[in-house]
Amino acid sequence: MAQDIDFDELLRKYKADPFDYVDVHAIHTGRVSFRVVEGSEVQAISGEWLQIPGTVLYEINRERNPKTVAAQTNGTVASVHSELDGRFVEAGEKLLTIRHPLKKKEIIENILKEVLSLFSAPESAKYFFSMDIQSRIDKKGARAVTVEPGDEILTMSLMKRDTPVYYSGERGVIHSVYFRPGISVAQGEPLLGICAPDKLPLIQKIITRVKADWDSDH
Amino acid sequence: MDRTPAPAAVRQRLFALADQKNRQGPKTTVDSLAVARYGAMVGRDIRCYSRLTRAMEQARQLIDSEAEAGGAVASGTVLLAGQLAGARGRFRRQWHAPSGGLWGCLILAATLLPPSRALIPYAVGVAGCEAVRQAGAARTQLRWVNDLLWAGGKLAGFLVEGYREPHHGEEFDLVGFGINVNNRHFPGELAGSAVALAQAVGGDLCLADFAETFLACLAWNVGLLYHEEAREAREAWQLSGEGFAGPVGGHALLARWRELSDTIGRRVVYGLDVLQAPQYEATVVGLEVDGGLLLRLADGAVTSQYCGELRYLPDQHR
Repeated sequence: MAQDIDFDELLRKYKADPFDYVDVHAIHTGRVSFRVVEGSEVQAISGEWLQIPGTVLYEINRERNPKTVAAQTNGTVASVHSELDGRFVEAGEKLLTIRHPLKKKEIIENILKEVLSLFSAPESAKYFFSMDIQSRIDKKGARAVTVEPGDEILTMSLMKRDTPVYYSGERGVIHSVYFRPGISVAQGEPLLGICAPDKLPLIQKIITRVKADWDSDH
Repeated sequence: MDRTPAPAAVRQRLFALADQKNRQGPKTTVDSLAVARYGAMVGRDIRCYSRLTRAMEQARQLIDSEAEAGGAVASGTVLLAGQLAGARGRFRRQWHAPSGGLWGCLILAATLLPPSRALIPYAVGVAGCEAVRQAGAARTQLRWVNDLLWAGGKLAGFLVEGYREPHHGEEFDLVGFGINVNNRHFPGELAGSAVALAQAVGGDLCLADFAETFLACLAWNVGLLYHEEAREAREAWQLSGEGFAGPVGGHALLARWRELSDTIGRRVVYGLDVLQAPQYEATVVGLEVDGGLLLRLADGAVTSQYCGELRYLPDQHR
């Protein structure tokens, strides 16, 4: 599959439209009211501890508990389902889309995500490598650590409940780490990109190619 | 332990608690009998050991051996140990567990939905605080999320770990508890930061009696998680418009936590492992509806934390 990727086509696509289109969904059921319109510029969450909220996108009210939801990514609001304004929505309903300008590093990561086997967060929580994996990473670096199905690779921490997370997927090395210890990861977001040993040369080729063909950081 | 805590006594205390809550009047819309019925599985099987390395480890072994034999551990089973040889807290911190304290683990099959499962640490903390207050340590307070403090000393520690047994993949929550009851002497590194319930109330307690009270409180608060989950589900499916049973539609367990805690309003230092790596100072301004802690930082920004721990900073206004 990965060997069949047409890099020329992929790079042409990213050069023609160097944006990510990030859909924003209702975080839970409730009555929604939008705080942005099409074309609004939005800022992502920021600050050393990610304590500065992003631009408020919408407010959702469930059981007299209003909650504002802020942008997690910067960009421009490309579309808004304004017909839902003031109406009751189900959890997960698509509300709007943000057009996010991609940097070279993000383009490489996006392409790699199509090649790597992604291991995603089972719950919204904070994640840490298990002690065994962490000590192997400390000694050799992540890309020298091979994981097998059934390995305890992470600890998921929520409040004060720690749960071991077992790897399920193809055997491979830890190529990309998408989480930072102590920073919350939403359910379904990728935590790790695992690469089968025979695909490593292909990965290197992708990185070299994008770096060579992309003449600026933006 | 002076005698073995009895499941029947735990159940009796649980229903007495439900009756007492019922008589308190219409402060909330909690259905006390339903809560007691949901929680009644806690402590229905109590296994006592004179000495264990770790109660959590024993719980894992029990789950595995039952699964291997084609059976299953009953949800609500409690393991109690007279003493623990290898007790530890989070981040492998040392926990001193000699005879005289209440050391153990509750095994819960993971039948709660994730938002309710996330609140198990609150349930065990509230239960611990209610039990020690009933025993006479009325000034005990909860520090987020479930540290029990009496006169600044740590009276108890709780740890919740998820576990998936390898034979059938069934998931459990292991609720570890360690309460300093009659063990008044602490080794050098803990002296000054730990305190025993016997010191707080001015005399030794009957450990089995206290264990039954604690397990009844734990049963009540675990029952409250199921009760609130059921109410929210009925509301979500539009079978009723009731929502949570706490004041102004909030979760009843979090409302109870607020009553027992002095964390909100305090200046704190926050960190994932606050002793080894403190991250920032902030003021606690409240709880999110789902249990997250709201912290206001020096720049005025308010952030929610669902993980990590706190230490209080000296507060000039107290």
